[in-house]
Amino acid sequence: MKTMKVTFRVNDEKVILKVRPCETLLETLRERLDLTGVKEACGMGACGACTVVVNGVPLRSCLVLTPEVDGASITTVEGLRKDGKLHPLQEAFMEKGAVQCGFCTSGMIMTAKALLDRDKRPTKKRIIKTLSSNICRCTGYKKIVEAVEEAGKKRV
Amino acid sequence: MILPKLEYKKAGNIAEAIAFYGSYNGQALYLAGGTDLIPLVKLRLSTPKALIDLKGIEELKAVSRQSGWLGIGANVTLFELKNNNTVREYFPALSKSLDATSCETLQMRGTIGGNVLQDTRCLLYNKSPEWRTARGFCYKMGGEACNAVPNAKACFSNYCSDNALSLIALSASVKLAGPQGERKMKLEKIFSGDGRKPFTLMPGEILKEILIPMKRSKGAYEKLRVRDSIDYPLLGVAVSVKGGTGRVCVGGIGAMPLAYTLKKIDNSTFKDITEKVYSNARPVSNATLPPDYRKKMVGVLVQRAIKKVLKEGK
Repeated sequence: MKTMKVTFRVNDEKVILKVRPCETLLETLRERLDLTGVKEACGMGACGACTVVVNGVPLRSCLVLTPEVDGASITTVEGLRKDGKLHPLQEAFMEKGAVQCGFCTSGMIMTAKALLDRDKRPTKKRIIKTLSSNICRCTGYKKIVEAVEEAGKKRV
Repeated sequence: MILPKLEYKKAGNIAEAIAFYGSYNGQALYLAGGTDLIPLVKLRLSTPKALIDLKGIEELKAVSRQSGWLGIGANVTLFELKNNNTVREYFPALSKSLDATSCETLQMRGTIGGNVLQDTRCLLYNKSPEWRTARGFCYKMGGEACNAVPNAKACFSNYCSDNALSLIALSASVKLAGPQGERKMKLEKIFSGDGRKPFTLMPGEILKEILIPMKRSKGAYEKLRVRDSIDYPLLGVAVSVKGGTGRVCVGGIGAMPLAYTLKKIDNSTFKDITEKVYSNARPVSNATLPPDYRKKMVGVLVQRAIKKVLKEGK
């Protein structure tokens, strides 16, 4: 199997890699770039734990082949901190105690980030609808929704 | 889960995609959003040598008003289409089925073409290779039996697209392009009725565009599922009414959606259609809810959808 040259940006850094065409973005991010904030849970696109933001759109990285993101700009949870300061969403998740086991958290935050980027002050209903893309098996959705609401308020 | 070895090709136009398909002797699959396809490949339910990416083809990405039709490129994402003003205004049944499809993140990746051409599903088919080997291969896997219905002579897998139902209710047509040229047909004609190979598309054919007659309609979509946030339909009912007539389309049960015509908009027609739909629905024990419950819900959802359509605009 031939490898392919792929160029993209991850968290504002340019990356040039040779990958096997069957490699998923999830595998590339975790195993080659050590961005282990991206989690694999179901591996089938059902749970949302592997969500990253690609060109402003939240994507399940387990369903994307790495060659598909050639030329794209990718943000993972590791890229949210700027100049040593956490993103308002990360702050709000800590403040509100929106983390239980923590496995779904990075996916939740990335889905919420893409939402806040296109809708600065989403309603609670909107937040619930968007976050229903992600599954938390500790079932602590209430605090997560509160945290996203809080982060929305802080950014205004 | 790890993908098997395969090659990846990105096509810049339709002719190139068809040429790639030919160069793999038909052992390739077209890739759009991949939200349905990649899990199938991961589970080894589909074993292509190559995936041909259609996302770079510009002409598949447009929504355009044509004379008498709304043309929807096959690669328009479900989310984009859901937020399209013309769809909202003219085709409420489609707007509602788009909203009911999966979850927002997958709507942003999944395309309308891919959603319509998704493979049929069965609780005893969409499983790991180990599970399937232990259980024995069914018709859809190339075996000689149905694992869901003992002694059955056919495959009972379910077609689970939400949006094909509303598109059929809206009398949509499709444009296909393939090695033998282009053709246009009614959307309901692309279904073979055979769960093993649910579509009548020829090898190498690409769904280019979906065409909906540009007429303002009233409509509703009702969906039965366990988790409201993400599940495939265990039963779906789309109703669309324009002028004095309408169409009802029922899916999620069996390998193809079934369409019914409402010749008049009155209570006796609704009663007749509900009875007809109920007696034609033959769910079997291959989904997460029992078949008798799904059958009962057919009547309930048809009634519910019709009531919603009648209430609209009042």
